[in-house]
Amino acid sequence: MKPARKMTLAAVALASLSACGNGSEDETGSGPLGVLAQTAQQAVAARRASGQPTAPEKSPDERAAEALRVNPGPLILAGFESLGKTQIMAMTGQNGGTRTYMTPAEEALILRGGMLVGTRGLGNDLSVAEPETEALIRSGASGNGQRVMRYFSGDGLERPLQFNCTVGAGGKPGVIVESCRGHGADFQNSYLVQGGQIVVSRQWIGPALGYVTVQTLRP
Amino acid sequence: MRRSLLVRRLMATVLPAAMLAGSVSSVAVADPMLGRNMSTYGLPGGIDTPTAETLPDGTLGATVSWSDYGRRGNVTFQALPGLTTVLRYSRIDGINDFRREGYISDRSLDLRYQIVDEQGWRPAVAVGLRDFLGTGVYSGEYIVATRNITPTVRASAGLGWGTLAGRNRTIDVNDEGGTPNLDQLFTGGAKPFGSISWQVNDRLSLVAEYSNDNYVATYSNGREFQQGEAPDSNVNLAAYYRPGRNYELGLYTIGGKTFGAQFSVLLNPRDAPYPSGLEKAPAPVRPRPSPAADPEGWSGQWSQDPTAQPAIQKALGDALAKEGQILQSMALSANRAEVRIRNQRYINQAEAVGRTARLMTRALPASVETLVITSTSDGVPTSSVTLRRSDVERLENTEAGRIAAASAVTDADPFPGDLVRSEGVYPRFRWSLKPYLDLGIFSAEDGLTYEVGGEARASYEILPGLVATGALRQRAFGNIDQRGPAIGLPGTRGQYYTPEEYLADPALETTPEGVPRVRSDTRMYTGNSDPVIPELTLAWYAKPARNIYTRVTGGLLERAYGGVSAEVLWKPADSPLAFGAEVNRVRKRDFDQLVDFRDYEVTMGHVSAYYELTQGFTAQLDLGKYLAGDKGATLTLTREFANGWQIGAFVTKTDLSAEEFGEGSFDKGITLSIPLSWATGQPSRERTTTTLRSLSRDGGAQLNVNGRLYDRVRDSHSVKLYEGWGRFWR
Repeated sequence: MKPARKMTLAAVALASLSACGNGSEDETGSGPLGVLAQTAQQAVAARRASGQPTAPEKSPDERAAEALRVNPGPLILAGFESLGKTQIMAMTGQNGGTRTYMTPAEEALILRGGMLVGTRGLGNDLSVAEPETEALIRSGASGNGQRVMRYFSGDGLERPLQFNCTVGAGGKPGVIVESCRGHGADFQNSYLVQGGQIVVSRQWIGPALGYVTVQTLRP
Repeated sequence: MRRSLLVRRLMATVLPAAMLAGSVSSVAVADPMLGRNMSTYGLPGGIDTPTAETLPDGTLGATVSWSDYGRRGNVTFQALPGLTTVLRYSRIDGINDFRREGYISDRSLDLRYQIVDEQGWRPAVAVGLRDFLGTGVYSGEYIVATRNITPTVRASAGLGWGTLAGRNRTIDVNDEGGTPNLDQLFTGGAKPFGSISWQVNDRLSLVAEYSNDNYVATYSNGREFQQGEAPDSNVNLAAYYRPGRNYELGLYTIGGKTFGAQFSVLLNPRDAPYPSGLEKAPAPVRPRPSPAADPEGWSGQWSQDPTAQPAIQKALGDALAKEGQILQSMALSANRAEVRIRNQRYINQAEAVGRTARLMTRALPASVETLVITSTSDGVPTSSVTLRRSDVERLENTEAGRIAAASAVTDADPFPGDLVRSEGVYPRFRWSLKPYLDLGIFSAEDGLTYEVGGEARASYEILPGLVATGALRQRAFGNIDQRGPAIGLPGTRGQYYTPEEYLADPALETTPEGVPRVRSDTRMYTGNSDPVIPELTLAWYAKPARNIYTRVTGGLLERAYGGVSAEVLWKPADSPLAFGAEVNRVRKRDFDQLVDFRDYEVTMGHVSAYYELTQGFTAQLDLGKYLAGDKGATLTLTREFANGWQIGAFVTKTDLSAEEFGEGSFDKGITLSIPLSWATGQPSRERTTTTLRSLSRDGGAQLNVNGRLYDRVRDSHSVKLYEGWGRFWR
């Protein structure tokens, strides 16, 4: 028997140990052993799936066209650079000028007139951003301002990081660039503003997730 | 993409190098004097000699070090920013005791306190006690200063006593150990020691030190042992390599002829792989339409319609169920709504409350302005968070502190008149069938012990607070066999009765010192190849008055005892202080762990005071009578992080003398509890919990009944609720 096959079998045996019951998923977890078993199960499933042919990936343009056809509400196209994925997100709620957009897997971006103010469901989320520079960016003016970004840290507390930012015109016409520095990190957000609304942007989420590019498909 | 997510998540915990690349905490503040390597004694810095360095606050670490001098397994906890504690299990080669095996097993405890951190020209200074409980092989004390010479070179110099001065103390062969040797601290003459460390690059550091330890152990009966080979030089050298921030490999030489290797793991509760968790995004708050757009909703007329509440309660209950919350009951009027929820998913109650508030804005008619979210535990209401709906609408997507300031936490009304119970919640039957794994890691005598098998468990909640629970276990395999207690007569150390010998003579169920064996025969309950019943109980939880909680549990309470246990707790929702009392009438169960009992019966219990200190510390003092009928007190100090990590230590001293108690002199131990959600990012209330206690002894033994009130009630009370409040908008 080949070692790889042996490993798969062992994993299946372990997986068969995992729990059963009539409780919800929240109740029937079986501790570290259960987590291991679940992992093994997924590894087996992944191995099986990798052997099967998959449909060719659709390009972002094709997916955008399809989403616009299916979904009548506001839509954005978000590219998470560090995760290497581009997703179409649909608006699921609006509170004042702040909109929440979600993927089908319920990961969320929260935007206020195109300005990123939070993320959810990504593991290293931005809890909330408080950009003092927002008015400068929307009006296309130059100037300085502070930007407070709040993150949920590993010890279970919401912690603020403060950055000093400079806003000015970028190299390309119509593009506003916001350069921020603080805590040994620096980043640059770029915005394309039309009538006070940010229609296309590349914005920094945080140290772990890096940049997201946001493009409005339907405002 | 979803498929292999858990795999990658698990990998992220196993390979922390990747997980830490650019975590929030690495966007740095000024660094204190943090150790660059772990010593053979499991402390930050040096090889054998100490330094004044520390670990990041809250770090939990383990270091295993091997050489011809023996093997040291160290568990390290940075209990406070300046206080490092080490619990050590070592095998010391070259010493013969009664077993004549050429080595001894030894436990020891170290404390080090950094008095000042480095500042300007002034070095960091620390004082430390090594192996200070009883006179041990490693006993010694020191004062040490450490300073950065260049950005990469760091020097330490200090004065050492005991083994650190090469003047090891004489070990009393009759001492049971476990009590501080205060009269010997800093005695016997001091000698200087020192070390230099060079951080070659991010991963590699080199250390050279001057040490006086000559690795000799002297006993009061005149015997003297050289551990390994006497060091032929005072100079020790080492190289340490950190492949990831959480792992370290080390190679060292003591005196040039003896070589050693070590491996360390360091975990920091602050470095979670997915700090914000991977739970799905919460439902956005839905603001109300203007009164002009929804005159009917704003008028409150809808509340006259008898079909309104059932429909709203059903819709809200379904939405909450998707969030892992059970809507137990609800009261609804034109401008106020109260929901009583049972949180089954989130480790921070604030997240459950926040998500419930979001869903309430989506489900309730516009005229409802006051939102009351009452947390429950075992069907009993524990606290109410009152929010104004307009604040929830206004403060979504702002920092969590603002909604905290606009909220009120109060005691839940035990008997409100207008609550309507949700349909289909009670009675509630739950069963599960799953594998179990019992692991024993830190037994010096037995090494690694384990048992694997299957467990069937069922619970039936007849009414809110009235729960019948049963479990059945079947062992599959393992090396935890049935065994009698240690014989405990002179000259028989390390020998045990066989199960047959122990069963044949009932007189053996009392120790030679006259103490009933309430825990020291615990191994008689293991190794059953037939099914056993670990637990079979009927429990009743109630809240008879505003701040008062009660529990009565009857049946087979735990593996070794059955009977009745009753508890009462006074705990106002916004008070850091609580008092409790517990009385148990229990009988010792038979070793087959079915429904038979043995002859020993006792009435025991305690009164308790609890206090929530700052920085996540809680203190608990129990005074009372223990299982063996001994009277005394237990003091427990626990440090808890908002993410759910709990690290605690306890000591119990009773009126048993050190001789009656036996090795260790009194009961003490460490408890660790790590939430699984911290490691996987998946929301869950599950945790892995371990108690490291010195030995199973009969003095100061507690009853292990499930469902003690304090921790269950406290989750939703103000100190803990606000500590985890950052998750309100998660």
